Amino acid sequence: MDGLDGVSWSERLSLFRWAIAAALVAGAVYPLLGTFLHVRRTSFYGIALPQFATAGMVCGFAVLPWWIETIGLAGLDLSAATSDSHAAMNYHLAWAALFTFGGLALLLWLGQRGGGSEVGRVAAAFAIASAATVLFGRVSPVGKGFVDELVAGELLGVGVHEFETIAVVLGLSALVFWLFHRDLLLASYDRETALVLGKRVLAFEGLLVLVTGAMVSVGAMALGPILLFGMLVLPPIAARAWARSMTGYLLLSSAFGVAAALVGIVASFELDLPMGAAIAACAALLALPGALFGRRAA
Amino acid sequence: MSALLVAHRAAFGYQRRPVISGVELEIARGDFLGIVGPNGAGKTTLFRGLLGLIPPLEGSVRRETRAIGYVPQRETLDPIYPVTVEEVVQMGAYGKLRGWRGLSSAERVRAQECLERVGLADRRRDAFSSLSGGQRQRVLIARALMDEPELMLLDEPTSGVDRGAQARILELLVELNRSRGMAILLVSHQLSMVRETVQRVLWVAEGKVRVGAAAEMLAPENLDRLYAASGTTRSASEEL
Repeated sequence: MDGLDGVSWSERLSLFRWAIAAALVAGAVYPLLGTFLHVRRTSFYGIALPQFATAGMVCGFAVLPWWIETIGLAGLDLSAATSDSHAAMNYHLAWAALFTFGGLALLLWLGQRGGGSEVGRVAAAFAIASAATVLFGRVSPVGKGFVDELVAGELLGVGVHEFETIAVVLGLSALVFWLFHRDLLLASYDRETALVLGKRVLAFEGLLVLVTGAMVSVGAMALGPILLFGMLVLPPIAARAWARSMTGYLLLSSAFGVAAALVGIVASFELDLPMGAAIAACAALLALPGALFGRRAA
Repeated sequence: MSALLVAHRAAFGYQRRPVISGVELEIARGDFLGIVGPNGAGKTTLFRGLLGLIPPLEGSVRRETRAIGYVPQRETLDPIYPVTVEEVVQMGAYGKLRGWRGLSSAERVRAQECLERVGLADRRRDAFSSLSGGQRQRVLIARALMDEPELMLLDEPTSGVDRGAQARILELLVELNRSRGMAILLVSHQLSMVRETVQRVLWVAEGKVRVGAAAEMLAPENLDRLYAASGTTRSASEEL
């Protein structure tokens, strides 16, 4: 963020309005998903899945020259496809979604087969996805710089197209959480009672998988994995120490996410830091008092 | 008296392999039954089959009422969820909620009444995980009462609680059975409790179910015969 020293706050807000808006929306909605991942004891998914999505996007870059030559991408040439274009964004989103849903399906399938520990499987998945990200980046003609930027968590390049995509996907996801939070809670907390009460548990579990895949794919594409790690994992941990009810937990997680985004945005401008990493660091700081002084959850 | 649940030549098991077969059973209003038997004999399989959590491999299970309350083992509920006592009880009404409809004020009042019924109304704002084992069990009974059940099924309701808590839980179940005619089916490995509380016993052993009067079937001399016939011995927790 060199060269921002002489830029006033109002100019910054105007220049980076889409990045700021995307970070705030992410701060409000990703912790809702993270809360469900946390209570289902699948928080590690919040780390592994964004890495899968990143590997997918970098893989998309690696095969981009071949793709343009053999299949085509809305008539774009390689140079146009690597710059900010709607078609290229959709292309990368598709790769992110392919790897996210593929990784999620693989983890669920391995979990159903049993054997080994869930933590071990997810940790292995994270290691593989991380290695794949680096390797795909190396063979990609445009990948290395992109991978560096993605890993650094620089959000300032978020434009109107990315924001629109984020807003639509996260808006719909928030609607799902608002409409079905009771059903999702019951299906997660007490599956057998949910079945006895006539709830379509498989449908709600499928809905959660769908929302997880969509949110992670679009977030990794537009915001980068570091912000996703931070928003999916840290606000739920911060809120759990203070939450007194499940509804309160969801709202508090979201509030912690927005607070981390706000402080992180200011810190990134003031201290010249990558915005995604600054927000994740602020989320970690917000989790600290709860870890030290909050009530201990099981 | 009309039957609430009828099993006819039912077989239950997993992956198409029956664990228990030839189940003939009729549960009517006012019945109080206990499922007992040696460890690993298939008590839980029978319980889950009657509850509808696993479909019968053969025969049929007919539930004539939709008002069925279920009380799971409290250990299956993860304390990582920061749910309050009130939230847990209100879950009993979630079966009727569709889409965006929240709990009605009548359902909230009902939750309060159910908590009063089990003697825990003053703990409604407390964390569910902060209660003792016996109190949590009573909260789960309150949740099952939300749907005004005609038949209540309980999985090991007095397991792992002290004698005082056990007595309060049994008192509550007996009261529900006598005053409201609620049929109750519980599964337990605590033979003395079952003998003193239930009317009929479903003895599960060697893949079969025998039904009989509790006092008779669980009499010490009979029990030794039942265990010997099934080729097993009683574990410490099953002692009378």
